[in-house]
Parts: sequence; C-alpha cells; structure tokens
Amino acid sequence: MLELITENAVVTALVALGFLALVFGALLGFASVRFKVEGDPIVDQLDALLPQTQCGQCGYPGCRPYAEQIAQGDEINKCPPGGQATVEAIAQLMGVDAPELDTGGAESAEVTRVAYIREDECIGCTKCIQACPMDAILGAAKQMHTVISDECTGCDLCVEPCPVDCIDMIPIPTTVQNWTWEKPASNSNIIATDKQPAHQAA
Amino acid sequence: MEGGKNTITVEVAYALPHKQQIIAIDVEQGTTAMEAVVRSGIVNEFPEIDLATAKMGIFGQALGVKGLKSPQEQVLESGDRVEIYRPLKSDPKEARRRRAAKNDAEKD
Repeated sequence: MLELITENAVVTALVALGFLALVFGALLGFASVRFKVEGDPIVDQLDALLPQTQCGQCGYPGCRPYAEQIAQGDEINKCPPGGQATVEAIAQLMGVDAPELDTGGAESAEVTRVAYIREDECIGCTKCIQACPMDAILGAAKQMHTVISDECTGCDLCVEPCPVDCIDMIPIPTTVQNWTWEKPASNSNIIATDKQPAHQAA
Repeated sequence: MEGGKNTITVEVAYALPHKQQIIAIDVEQGTTAMEAVVRSGIVNEFPEIDLATAKMGIFGQALGVKGLKSPQEQVLESGDRVEIYRPLKSDPKEARRRRAAKNDAEKD
C-alpha cells in the first residue's frame, strides 16, 4: 500500500492534497465555531422601529443600514417617513432624549406631503413606478400613472426619475376625514398647579 | 366564503387623481384577474370603468401584452394587486413636440 503511494506520483499528489484539504477544512470549521461573531441585537430592534419604506432620506440606502448607523452612534432623527413618533420610540430604546425630527431643510414635517402626477404631461414611462418603494403608484407602460395618496409616504423618490418633471409634492389639505387633535407637547404645563412654581420663580 | 379552504387574498385597485381605492378580497385559487375585478365590485364605486375595454395589469405589468395572458385568462397568485388603468391624456410624441417647442421659445 505504502509502496503504491510512494511509487506512483499521481497517487502521491492526490493523497498529499487530500490530507491538506482535510487539515485546512478542520481548521476553518473550528475557527467558525470558536470565533463566531454574534449579530448586534440592537440593530434588529432599531430596524423593527423604522418604517421599512427604504426611502433613503436618512442618507443611507435603506432602513437596516440606518439602523446599523444608529447603533454606531448616528443621529436618531433622520427618518421623515417615521415622523416624530419614530424618533421618540428610538430614543426610548436607546435611552437618550428625543431630538426634533430633522427633515433635512425641507418644509416642516408637520405638513404631510404626497406625490401628485400632472396627468396632462405624463407619458406613461413607468420610471416613477420602479422608483416607488411603497408600490403607491398605479400604472403600466403607456397607461396613465396615478399616485395612491393613502399609500404615499411623501419620500420624494419618484420626483427625480420622471423624465418630464410632471410629479409635484403637494401638502395634504386637512379635511374632516384626516383631521386629528394636536398631539400634546411633552413638556407643556397643562396642570394648573404645576404652573405655579414657574410663575413664582419668574 | 365559498369553498372555505384554498382561498387567497388579492387586491383590486383603481385610481383617479383625487380618488383612489384598493379593495382587498378573498378569492379561491384559480380565480382570474377579470373575475377578481368583477367580484370586488369596484365598478359600483367608479361607474366610469368599462370592463370590456379597460386595460388591466398586475403590479405595473399590463396584462395581454409582452407574452402575458389576457385578464380573462391570467390566474392570480396570493398577494397580487390587479390594477385597472386609464389611457394617457396626451400622446407622448405630441407632448414631446410641445416641450421641445416651449424650450425653443424660451431660448430665443
């Protein structure tokens, strides 16, 4: 047996390479178990809080990359679709104070805006449909495209691809259907007795 | 619900500039796009839809073109959104001509 291996060059090579493969395979297998890197559980929790619109307004290519950046210490207020509610949820999770929502210099985030297609100019090219992360645009090639306002998060991603610039971002007018009470400000002194000391101090 | 089991949930959608509706319905497996549209009753909401001539599609892909079956034959899968389309208002070539003329006018 040993003679056969040593005399035949091909068999020698096969045995030697097979032996090396076994050794390195075992080494890699051991290393993958021994040095296993746990996924960061905080990223999963942050990702669950983000709206999953993958709109990229935070400056990262999706919600999960933004969650990873928050875990590494990035600002938590860069998610306009999530609104102030998301900022506060993340602040609670991270144990920090909730900053104001940063809309990146756009108009106030209080005004919700949706995309609107000027139909006279739409050429039915489907570029905006492909850009929409929410499937909020109804239409097909050479058919009229229409934004479904209820699905639109106002992320702006469809405005840029339109070759004829026929998409406007319009504020949603407050109607009887969508009017809500203003949310209470967290630091307002709505209890009369709480106001007294502030008055005396002033 | 008819049949009880083997039902899938699909959506039927139609959109006007200022009024859009997505109707979710449960249908049995093997239902075609046209059957789902009829079953959803979306025509009651938008009487202007003419089912005989209206173009339909699933998630931005018009049915009856590019090798796809017609709405009467296309069998739906779970989660499909059947969309009823409206024709373009202006001819794209004509619109391009208008834009070009406008740009020329601005240049002068």
